[in-house]
Amino acid sequence: MVIAHEFEYFKPESVEGVIELLLKYKDKARLLAGGTDLIVRIKDGLEFPEAVIDIKGLTELGKFEFKDNKLFIGSLVTFNDLIESKIVEEKFPLLWESSKTVASIGIRNRATIVGNICSAVPSLDTGPALLVYEANVVVRGTEGERVISVLDWFLGPRKTALEAGEFVYGITISLPEKKRGGSYVKLGRYNGEDLAQVGLGILALEGNEYRLAFCAVGPVPARAKKIEALLNGKSLTGLLIEEAKNLVPEEISPITDVRATKEYRLHVAKIMFERGIKAAVERLDGKGPAYGEKLI
Amino acid sequence: MKKISFVLNGEKRNIYVEPNDLLLDVLREKLGVKSPKYGCGRGDCGLCTVLINGKSARTCLILAIEVDGQEILTVEGLSKDKLTPLQESFIKHNSFQCGFCAPGMIMTATELLEKNSNPTGEEVKEAISGNLCRCTGYTPIIEAILDVNKK
Amino acid sequence: MEEFKFIGKPVDRLDEREKVTGAAKYVDDIEFGPNLLYTEIIESPHPHALINNINTSEAEKVEGVVKIVTGKDFPYKFGLYMKDRYIFAQDRVRFIGEQVAAVIARDPKTALKAAKLVKVEYEPFSAVFDPVEALKEDAPVIHPELGNYPHVPWFFPKGGSNVAHLRKVRKGDVEKGFKEADFVLEDTYRIPRYAHCCLETHIAVGLLDYSGRLTVWASSQSPHTQRNLFADALAPLGFSHKDIRVIVPYVGGGFGGKAGVTMEVIAAALATVVKGHPVKVIWRRDQEFYNTYMRLQVMSKIKVGVKNDGIITAFEITNYWDAGPYAEYGANVVNASGLSATGPYRIPNVKIDSYCIYTNLPVAGPYRGFGYSEMLFSVESHMTRIAKAIGIDPVEFRRKNGIREGDSLPYGAPMNPNGLLEAIDKVAKEIDWGKKETLNDPNKAIGKGFAIFWKAPAMPPNVSSTAFIKFSEDGSLNVIVSGMEIGQGYLTAMAQIAAEVLTVPPEKIRIELPDTDRNPYHWQTVASHVTWANGNAVKRAALQIRDRIFEVVHEVYHYDKDTLYLEDEKVKCKLHASFELPLKDFVIEGIQTKDGTYRGGAIVGSGSFMPEFTSAQQDPETSQGGHPNVHYTVGAAAVKIEIDKQTGKVRILKAVEALDAGKAINPMNVKHQIYGGLLQGFATALYEDMRFDENGKILNPNFTDYKIPTSLDIPDEVVPIIVEVPQPDGPYGARGIGEHPMIPAAPIIANAVEDALGVRIKSMPITAEKIAMAILNDKKEVDDFLMIMKK
Repeated sequence: MVIAHEFEYFKPESVEGVIELLLKYKDKARLLAGGTDLIVRIKDGLEFPEAVIDIKGLTELGKFEFKDNKLFIGSLVTFNDLIESKIVEEKFPLLWESSKTVASIGIRNRATIVGNICSAVPSLDTGPALLVYEANVVVRGTEGERVISVLDWFLGPRKTALEAGEFVYGITISLPEKKRGGSYVKLGRYNGEDLAQVGLGILALEGNEYRLAFCAVGPVPARAKKIEALLNGKSLTGLLIEEAKNLVPEEISPITDVRATKEYRLHVAKIMFERGIKAAVERLDGKGPAYGEKLI
Repeated sequence: MKKISFVLNGEKRNIYVEPNDLLLDVLREKLGVKSPKYGCGRGDCGLCTVLINGKSARTCLILAIEVDGQEILTVEGLSKDKLTPLQESFIKHNSFQCGFCAPGMIMTATELLEKNSNPTGEEVKEAISGNLCRCTGYTPIIEAILDVNKK
Repeated sequence: MEEFKFIGKPVDRLDEREKVTGAAKYVDDIEFGPNLLYTEIIESPHPHALINNINTSEAEKVEGVVKIVTGKDFPYKFGLYMKDRYIFAQDRVRFIGEQVAAVIARDPKTALKAAKLVKVEYEPFSAVFDPVEALKEDAPVIHPELGNYPHVPWFFPKGGSNVAHLRKVRKGDVEKGFKEADFVLEDTYRIPRYAHCCLETHIAVGLLDYSGRLTVWASSQSPHTQRNLFADALAPLGFSHKDIRVIVPYVGGGFGGKAGVTMEVIAAALATVVKGHPVKVIWRRDQEFYNTYMRLQVMSKIKVGVKNDGIITAFEITNYWDAGPYAEYGANVVNASGLSATGPYRIPNVKIDSYCIYTNLPVAGPYRGFGYSEMLFSVESHMTRIAKAIGIDPVEFRRKNGIREGDSLPYGAPMNPNGLLEAIDKVAKEIDWGKKETLNDPNKAIGKGFAIFWKAPAMPPNVSSTAFIKFSEDGSLNVIVSGMEIGQGYLTAMAQIAAEVLTVPPEKIRIELPDTDRNPYHWQTVASHVTWANGNAVKRAALQIRDRIFEVVHEVYHYDKDTLYLEDEKVKCKLHASFELPLKDFVIEGIQTKDGTYRGGAIVGSGSFMPEFTSAQQDPETSQGGHPNVHYTVGAAAVKIEIDKQTGKVRILKAVEALDAGKAINPMNVKHQIYGGLLQGFATALYEDMRFDENGKILNPNFTDYKIPTSLDIPDEVVPIIVEVPQPDGPYGARGIGEHPMIPAAPIIANAVEDALGVRIKSMPITAEKIAMAILNDKKEVDDFLMIMKK
């Protein structure tokens, strides 16, 4: 209940201040934004930082704007900020839909999408959306700023492409040029909040282009390249969907744990694909279920 | 020990905290504010919920030091003079049984009604879905919230 | 029909304002001052091991540590129905999480740090986690001294084995009964462990003051029984009841988990080594899962014989219960449900064997339903199957075989008046039983499931309940009792009873929370017997006061006592319409007579209730004779569900439940119990899913992975129905209903799934996964039991 582990707390007011502390404390430093992951891990004895660096003092990290067809989401932007944003709801509805499935309001008021991708748990709900939107991660370090494609971001469970002395400044998502529809389908054990046992994000773009990404069924969230290769350029038929469903087992490697067996995850992943892609295509045409409506 | 100061239920408070002190413990043990409760320590149950700058938050996952300069509202703050229409509605509907979920539920519902004074049943259920209740089956709680501003 | 002013009315809850304003205090909200000490428990990482050595030297050096204790400091046993457990493990540990030592420190962080430095050397030996495995010859014997343990006379432990108790019921001749049957169905059902998940975790604060008086504040359903157990456990230290005081403020949920004594004894014991300092023991959520009581696991082997017309001729059940390593309370779950394992049916030939078996999983014990929630899954699943097998409608089957007043119970005593048939009819009507509903969507299926249920309070035959009542100058009342408000609305019901007799409205009545020094005895707030037992005591106390009032008025005014009555807080007389004496004018100050002297004075009343017809003296081989249960509350329930055939997910469209409350003292609170209890039961049926690893360690002791219902999980519609066939010895005809709403939830889901899909799932929980995989693999029967996860 209490945290016995002792650490120092810092609240720098500039990017340089953050980097200075990161260099000083190296892998004994942890950044704190929403804290909904870090604090649990410290309590569970899974993290023993010497320095907790609260980045909520950097107002520039709160930048949240849509400019020049690009959405910039600063590291302090919370899930509820995303959900309450009309821009996200209208222009990036897949991200909006994914965000709504994360935990509950009391968590979403603090938890950040940047924190989510930095925790890089295999089941993170924002992984699929960011992968199919082909977002970019803006990183600041001693060398200044660099941009890492989210496609190269996830390296393993709780492992990202971030290097020593670096921290995430924000995420950018370019507005896709083509008309599109999307869906995020999430398997949970009941209707209440749950970590995904399978998560699938789909973007269907005008001209028969399809992007799919799974989470929770492999060590990292990843694009389903085989299925994309099968579908791209073709219009969706029942036969094609069946064929694509048969590729699902080749795209994912679910495990059995307390939440679900791998057989069930595999089975439902196929159903999720079928319902998800139909909804994405319908939404592309301005029809289909409203974003936010549960498909399973 | 670091000195922090924040507004608690309308009053500015100064207090010394260690970096690893949790806000829930500081509220309960150092500031005598007992309404937020310990339920799980992981943000899964909502019992520790208060409003920070008007937004519901899980105090079991917040270091006390993080709220320096912020504003916190708890059930004690709502109950100071007259009760809120929401509280009166809960009393009228006999919504709570053991009462342990009540403070967290009340703060979450307070936030909801600030944002949306006439929510639908689905919106209420969604808003309070992070506040667990083991006793009531939720129906009397939902009815009370819907009844507050019913036209 | 008698017209009541307060009984049967939806009177507002007495405690609602306190709970809505944050005024309600629970144990951890009480300020114990700067001398409060904190604890951290050192727990066993092994399910079954000898303790070879405990080294506390490093931990003792930590500044702020006040004392470290181990089993050596408290070699005392305790237990409610059997003394088989210890305050701290002695020579061995018997489950992962068992308390081995405790650090007491000035602040919680220090306690946590120091606890990590305590080194314990264990010598593990083989453990057993399955009740049937634990019966085998080569299973490790968990209590080698079982044969010497003191226990209540109606328990039958088998020394030298892992059988803590065996309840045998033999009525009629089952062999003959099966021969007479036209059809016999036999099968096995498995029900895993479940957790209460009270939102307030267990907590106890103990203080031994410098004069040697021990006070324990605990979140408890049983202050007097706790005091009794503390006195028993600490008797070697010289304590007896007068030296111990237990105080219980509001309790954040009990559901049976805070009955008896589990971790509270640790606070009582630790207090004795830090005299003058209150010491707090509070459980984290994970400890709440593995070191309190869990609901027992059971494997039911059931065999039922019926004639072609649907009449049951024989019923045989063997229940193998896993009670964990300490069965002091769990054995009574086995006992009570064993006596009633047939369900509410009239059956001439019955054979029940209910085994309470030790295992090295965590301790199991009382949970809402007390064995009935567990085992009625088997019985009511089985009854629907057998009805369908012989072509009889499952509801009609219940009507034919449902137990009537006067019928003989499995142990021979007669069944009390009850509204079972009325409940069946009302539920069947409300759920539109018989009407098959269809859907256009080929991916969805709709099904309906039905069940009947019963439960009697499971208690020793001599439990008492008492009450004191006193007035204040404004005519308000304090009713001083030791029942617990755990959320069920008990305070309000007692106020309504006192109000009805004394005509003081509930808003002017306070019901005082227990303090064993001041509040008179009540056994435990369990068993759904408190409205009945304490209600009777409160009514008796109120009647005593009323008699006293009439006596005093008679003495002064000379009106005949039987012409006097109370109305609107005044004494009135049938023969003198103008006579009106407000209670507040004399209940403290007495009535002044013509000569200036006074009569009466402060008026108080007391009431005591103990059933005088119950006896646990039964034939140990057959359970015949005796009258162990006071009465049964019966009911019926049904559910309509929609299943997504691809994902297996179940949506509850409508749930209906009828309970025979005898007389619903507060119909609103009865309905609220139905909402809460049904949801709790549905959760056990659909997604609460406790898992252990192969070493008996619980894998999901948190809400992240043990899912209890949220507001998004409630049924689309719930219809509560109250039936009222009066309980002759209940206050205003009332009997208890607190546990009952949960009991039928699991079998109605199982039966609805079968109705929708033709798939019979014989193990709980009935998860979306089990349903989907059954459909996918075209299985008609599923018995997957996943509680222990193999690698």
